[in-house]
Amino acid sequence: MAEDRCSVQFDDVVQRFRVIRERPDTLREFFARIRRQKATYHDFEALKHVTFRIAKGEMVGIIGRNGSGKSTILKVIAGVYAPSSGRVEVHGRIAPLIELGAGFHHELTGRENILLNGLLLGLSKRQVQEREERIVEFAELGDFIDSPIKQYSSGMYMRLAFAVATEVDPDVLLIDEILAVGDGGFRQKCFDRIRGFRAAGKTILYVSHDLGGIREFCDRVLLIHNGQLIEDGLPDFVTAQYEALLGQHVDSIVM
Amino acid sequence: MGELFRDTYRYRELIWALALKELRVRYKRSVLGFLWALLNPALLMVVLTLVFGTIMRFSIDHYAVFLLSTLLPWTFFSQSLAYSVESIVGNGDLLKKVRIAQLVFPVAAVVSNIINFLLSLLPLMLLIALMRFPLHWTWVYLPVPMLGLFLFTLGTAFFFATINVFYRDVSHIVQILLSAWFYFSPVIYSLDFVSSKYRWLFRINPMLYVLNGFRLAVYYGMLPSLKSVGMSLACGIIALIVGFAVFRRYQNSFVYYV
Repeated sequence: MAEDRCSVQFDDVVQRFRVIRERPDTLREFFARIRRQKATYHDFEALKHVTFRIAKGEMVGIIGRNGSGKSTILKVIAGVYAPSSGRVEVHGRIAPLIELGAGFHHELTGRENILLNGLLLGLSKRQVQEREERIVEFAELGDFIDSPIKQYSSGMYMRLAFAVATEVDPDVLLIDEILAVGDGGFRQKCFDRIRGFRAAGKTILYVSHDLGGIREFCDRVLLIHNGQLIEDGLPDFVTAQYEALLGQHVDSIVM
Repeated sequence: MGELFRDTYRYRELIWALALKELRVRYKRSVLGFLWALLNPALLMVVLTLVFGTIMRFSIDHYAVFLLSTLLPWTFFSQSLAYSVESIVGNGDLLKKVRIAQLVFPVAAVVSNIINFLLSLLPLMLLIALMRFPLHWTWVYLPVPMLGLFLFTLGTAFFFATINVFYRDVSHIVQILLSAWFYFSPVIYSLDFVSSKYRWLFRINPMLYVLNGFRLAVYYGMLPSLKSVGMSLACGIIALIVGFAVFRRYQNSFVYYV
């Protein structure tokens, strides 16, 4: 019973990256390295034994300093990285809003990009076409839909990318920081849409530095520090912990 | 191999869209647009016919047709490789953000060049008609060497796209390899010109059998021997099996190196 209510589960997940100093990008460097017989890499653990579970319909915020491993968590959930050890389970279709418009091509028109991006996110051509009208409407593109997107303003670009990603109708929505951009009106629209997702019982993971937004929207917050999950609890409590952590850091710099 | 067919079928719409994107981007911002896919080979043919038909006289009759019968498949092969060797690295940003089957990128690069290649056969037919050269019935045999060519190209594309992820020198090496390979293949000349002492050296070229099939069918109006047909298909299948095995072995680490 509890199992099928679970949407995302991390079980002792370790994500290790090989950080290579003087990465041998070319054959010359490769041979030079063989001659020197020196290891030029070290392993870096971006996630250290992270365990949590997120129930279906929860909206969970993830906070932490830059480089703490927040985005890595989202990418592991999205399936971009396979964890070095541990177990990850995700139920349902995922829409990664990790970086908006990742698959956009500047020479193509808005309409062509909608199709390409929709296909990249796992829709079929027919499903994209069914959603096209709604996407255009949300993005407020008007006649620009048949112009190459390099002529778009950055606002139009963001709106289009957000519209495509959210029209995928995911079961799990991964949002990374992207709402920090865009003007007030656009942010309002995005938040409205996110509220719609919540009302529809979708699971949302929201990475942000905007603690106000986190407190307002999230049911629960995870605090990540140096790749470890150090706090998991109610928004007010965890954000306060985070602020304390930030304060500590500032103190140590001042001293 | 099952994985290759399953995923190609599963992502067919995405592969098709990516292939069309490549062509669109290639011809975008040109007034004639897609027409260039036809015009490009057509103009090349005009140049070749002028040079070899009137200015330089060869002992080979209708040299332009002789040349184009193998030059077009060769151009397909070299352009496909040039595109696909960069296909994983070039889409690295995307691979880091969305979970997609990596094979769609090299496959799409080859598919876009297949479209280009098939289109280039139309001006060739037109040229043959204009030159009053016979349009041999053996054209109907062309799908067989094409299949060998496409399989071989796809296999090599997988192979080079994979190692280019780890060593970026590969894209430069491929350029040089292609031009050396070109002169070692009977494209601008006939294998009869090669002294029998060295002919074994040309026989080890896996592209030989495919090119032979094209030239025989288009220029001589003959069918290749059964052995040659078998060799051309075998080369294609082996290349694809090896190339895809290498690709599959390393595809999950691409994301850490792009």
